[in-house]
Amino acid sequence: MPNDILYSIRNLTVEYQTRAGPVRAVDNVSLNIRRGEILGLVGESGCGKSTLGKAMMRLHTTPAKITSGELWFDGRDLMSLSDREMPNVRGAEIGMVFQDPMTSLNPVQRILDHLTETIHTHEPETSDATARVRVEELAERLGIQRERLNEYPHQMSGGMRQRVMISLALALHAKLVIADEPTTSLDVIVEAKFLDLLKELQKEFGLTILLITHNIGVVAEVSDRVAVMYAARMVEVGDASDIFAEPKHPYTQGLLKSVPNILLDGTELYKMEGSPPNLLHPPTGCRFHPRCPYVKDICKNEDPNLKPVVMDQLAACWLYQETAVNGR
Amino acid sequence: MSPITIIALIIGIPSLLLLAYVFAVGSTGLRRYILTRVGLTLPMVFILSTMVFFVLRVLPGDPVRSALGPKGSPEMIKQIRDQLGLNDPLIVQYGRFLGEMVTLHFGNSLTGGHRPIINEMSERFPATLELVLPASVLALMIGIWGGALAASQRKRAIDYSMRIYSVVIYSLPIFWFGLMLQLLFGVRFKLLPIAGRIDPVIGTTIQHITNLYAVDALITGNWLALISVIRHLVLPTITLGLILSGVFVRMTRINVIETLQSDYISAARARGIREHVLVYGHALKNAMIPVITLIGLQVAILLAGAVLTETVFSWPGMGSYLVERISARDYTAVQSVITVFAILVALISLAVDIIYSLVDPRVRY
Amino acid sequence: MTVNKEKLSKNPLEVVTWEVELERVGIVRRILYARRWYGADWWFVSISALAVALFIVVALFPKFFAPYDPETLVGPRFMAPGAHPDLPVLVVLKNSPVNNLKDLAVSEGTSRPGISVVQGVPTAGALNEQAQKIDNQIKNESRGLRLRPVIVRYPTLEEALQAVANGNNQAAVVQSTEWEEVSDQFPTLREGQSITGVNSTSGGFIFGTNDIGQDVLSRLLWGTRVALLIGFSASIVALVLGVPLGLFAGFIGGTFDRLFSLLMDSLYAFPGLILAIAITAVLGPSILNIIVAIAVLYIPTYYRIVRGQTLSVKEEVYIEAAKSIGARNMEILRLYIFPNVIPSVAIIFSVNVADAILTGAGLSFLGLGLPPTIADWGIDLARGQRFIQTAWWMITFPGLAIMVVVLAFSMMGEGLMEIFNPKLRER
Repeated sequence: MPNDILYSIRNLTVEYQTRAGPVRAVDNVSLNIRRGEILGLVGESGCGKSTLGKAMMRLHTTPAKITSGELWFDGRDLMSLSDREMPNVRGAEIGMVFQDPMTSLNPVQRILDHLTETIHTHEPETSDATARVRVEELAERLGIQRERLNEYPHQMSGGMRQRVMISLALALHAKLVIADEPTTSLDVIVEAKFLDLLKELQKEFGLTILLITHNIGVVAEVSDRVAVMYAARMVEVGDASDIFAEPKHPYTQGLLKSVPNILLDGTELYKMEGSPPNLLHPPTGCRFHPRCPYVKDICKNEDPNLKPVVMDQLAACWLYQETAVNGR
Repeated sequence: MSPITIIALIIGIPSLLLLAYVFAVGSTGLRRYILTRVGLTLPMVFILSTMVFFVLRVLPGDPVRSALGPKGSPEMIKQIRDQLGLNDPLIVQYGRFLGEMVTLHFGNSLTGGHRPIINEMSERFPATLELVLPASVLALMIGIWGGALAASQRKRAIDYSMRIYSVVIYSLPIFWFGLMLQLLFGVRFKLLPIAGRIDPVIGTTIQHITNLYAVDALITGNWLALISVIRHLVLPTITLGLILSGVFVRMTRINVIETLQSDYISAARARGIREHVLVYGHALKNAMIPVITLIGLQVAILLAGAVLTETVFSWPGMGSYLVERISARDYTAVQSVITVFAILVALISLAVDIIYSLVDPRVRY
Repeated sequence: MTVNKEKLSKNPLEVVTWEVELERVGIVRRILYARRWYGADWWFVSISALAVALFIVVALFPKFFAPYDPETLVGPRFMAPGAHPDLPVLVVLKNSPVNNLKDLAVSEGTSRPGISVVQGVPTAGALNEQAQKIDNQIKNESRGLRLRPVIVRYPTLEEALQAVANGNNQAAVVQSTEWEEVSDQFPTLREGQSITGVNSTSGGFIFGTNDIGQDVLSRLLWGTRVALLIGFSASIVALVLGVPLGLFAGFIGGTFDRLFSLLMDSLYAFPGLILAIAITAVLGPSILNIIVAIAVLYIPTYYRIVRGQTLSVKEEVYIEAAKSIGARNMEILRLYIFPNVIPSVAIIFSVNVADAILTGAGLSFLGLGLPPTIADWGIDLARGQRFIQTAWWMITFPGLAIMVVVLAFSMMGEGLMEIFNPKLRER
């Protein structure tokens, strides 16, 4: 497993200014994405994973603001780039695949034009002919027939559109692809094909993929490593095999137990107690403590940080950490 | 050939050719769409003119009697009414009306000395056209540019200025605005003329080919007339055009703002496409699609504005003709004018829909 | 079976996340923080709401605000704004108790008062007339008083005034402008009222007078009444007819919907003013007919918007969910669709009143609306157009009034639209 870190998120905090007060959608989150891996970012709706994904490309819009943290991509801090320089990174070095390919494509623009426009924006010297050839090759590699490039988005199926989205992300050989809930709008069979495609691309192009999803099954299929978010904080990170075999954080444990098992025989579905907290007034201490079956006193007062538990597996939980003042 | 025929040919032939081309080249979806749209136009014109017919017939008061005055004896009134077919049962009159409408045979002016209405209209219609076209162009230019600008600078000074502009312009009574312009530029500073289409003396030198004085002056090389026509056009065009632009600014602004919030704009931004390309290239183009249909609807406002502007500037167009004829209780003329307006509105609405279908591929396939 | 309203009032399928909770701030908090949240739009709405309230007050109590009656000929024709009318006035000694002609009445038997006038100037005739009028008046009052002044003629203005200064005559009657020119020469004299009783200096008509002598300002203020009456009535009628039609058409659909939509679309596409012209031409000029004509114009607007909103709300999944727990159609309409429709209707209403006032003024401008005796802005504008070369104030002020009132309503609608329309909010 290559250890070279492509993207390092350090202590990132993203705040929303809302009518009711400031809300931290991402609270002091750190994460390292290694070159060439598929990292699955899981969590429930509202945990902040989508906000994190957008913030990584500084695509978040007001009222959201990055209030602190650093975004080290390939040796550069993206936070130091001006508003004029940032668009050069987008599309060319980091690409994004969105959840709903129907609305993410311009309905009055042909697929071909979507792609050639992207190429021309970043490499304006490219001739029309060259651009077209590149687009056709890329499309074929991704399973889109040449003739279909002249069509409009609404003429294509969902799966095909999602391939178009990938091709847009790859048009300029991006190093990192952030996929935000890419399979949520696809049916199961198309989803499987899509995931296979992702794996192929990873191997063939040495692509690094951050896969953001709430679907554990998808994560289990393709991820090399997994990161779990809860209530705007990162609670567990580790190799996929380790996490699925032995989840450390109680939340991750509950999450995995909640997945319906086809081998179920008679027993009820497991349901975690409670519901995700209100981020306007998050719980004191560890945010999961109101729902945690192993809650201790310290959990109510102090918020644990992400620390290694076993080798490469990190968890933010007092079960595995000593405090400065021992015991309690 | 009468000027009306010439204008009809100039507009009609290219339109029909375009329609035929689109029909031949387009897909079955497009063809079906065009046919349905054309099909719907007919009922609309039908409904409107029927409404006009009955509304005018229901009126109290007898136009013939008021035309003849106290001298008219009952027998004379009855005789004339028989002549004009006004004593026939309503159904028969209606049937005749339909027939006349289809053949564009508008008949003679009731109280205007029995002049054929079509003659009058062939003078008046080009006059209105000459006013309305430049005004629309002005309105569109200001409106679209202003609206896009406001949308791109959301919540900043320019945005608020544009919104205030469009609200103020919208609240401005068009006839008052025209009067104020007349006061300022015509009376106070005596820069521009305030009535008519052309200086009456120079007007005698105009050759009436299309009855669009500017065009006629241009093609006959009558520069003096051209200058006079342009000078007379300035104030009315500004009046009508500016007032109309308020609506366009608002429509464009709202549509561009909404479009800018679409997912595909975010997705394009994620690919590194620059803001100004997003606003003026993508968002504006997409926002224009609903605006096109709305532009079609603005024809209604345009015609209403034309009526008032023509009255203020004594512009001899269809609008002032309508007002004149109503005061004169000339119901045949009023009926004809309103029917023409209805047909106009229906045709433009049809044209707009077809253009819309060409621009938005979703409708086509 | 009526469904528990509690259950229906929240969207049954809603996944409650903290993001949704953020929207549920209380109404009190909304009002208190509205200015900060909505920024300029709050100002738009507040200022225009205040203006509208002011106009409504003026419309309800015009007598309170207007200096004169709008119909009476209170002054000379074509007075420019602020100009003083040149009236014949009394000039008396500074300490004289006499202010107007009536004050010069004396009881029978006492010596008759003397009044100086300048020879050859028509003031003598006017003076005589007025004196006779007042005399007849007080004769009937039978208090024993009579007004029969002795009119003494002098060859020059100065001599006429000197006679009063010397005490030979009780008063002089001269033109106010002439008096102003020479008043410095006679420090012991002062100006009284005009012989008709109006204070000469106070008679400065703020916005001038029109072609027959009516006060422009008063007509302006009284005109508010007509304008607002037309605006509100027409919009209310259109609302009352258009909204239910739209609701039913959207909700029930079918032939009802298709029929009405065709009708409404045809109506909507047709130039409003022209249709109004046609209707008033047929029905005749009267306020009621204008209201009817304009109302007909706006029914399609309410219809289309309400129908559109009904259609889109109808498609929401939670309507199906509500139906599946047994909600009846009327309840769905009342609890879900109607509340969603209210903000749009409010916006349309505000803009409609603005438009109705404009159309009404346009109609009267063309001479097709009101009977010409009512004080109305449109009519005044039409009148003024004839005198554009000489009396600029006759067209400037009525038009300004129209614009200000229409502006207030439009701004309110515009501001409300930004506040209510969630699609345009930054999120």
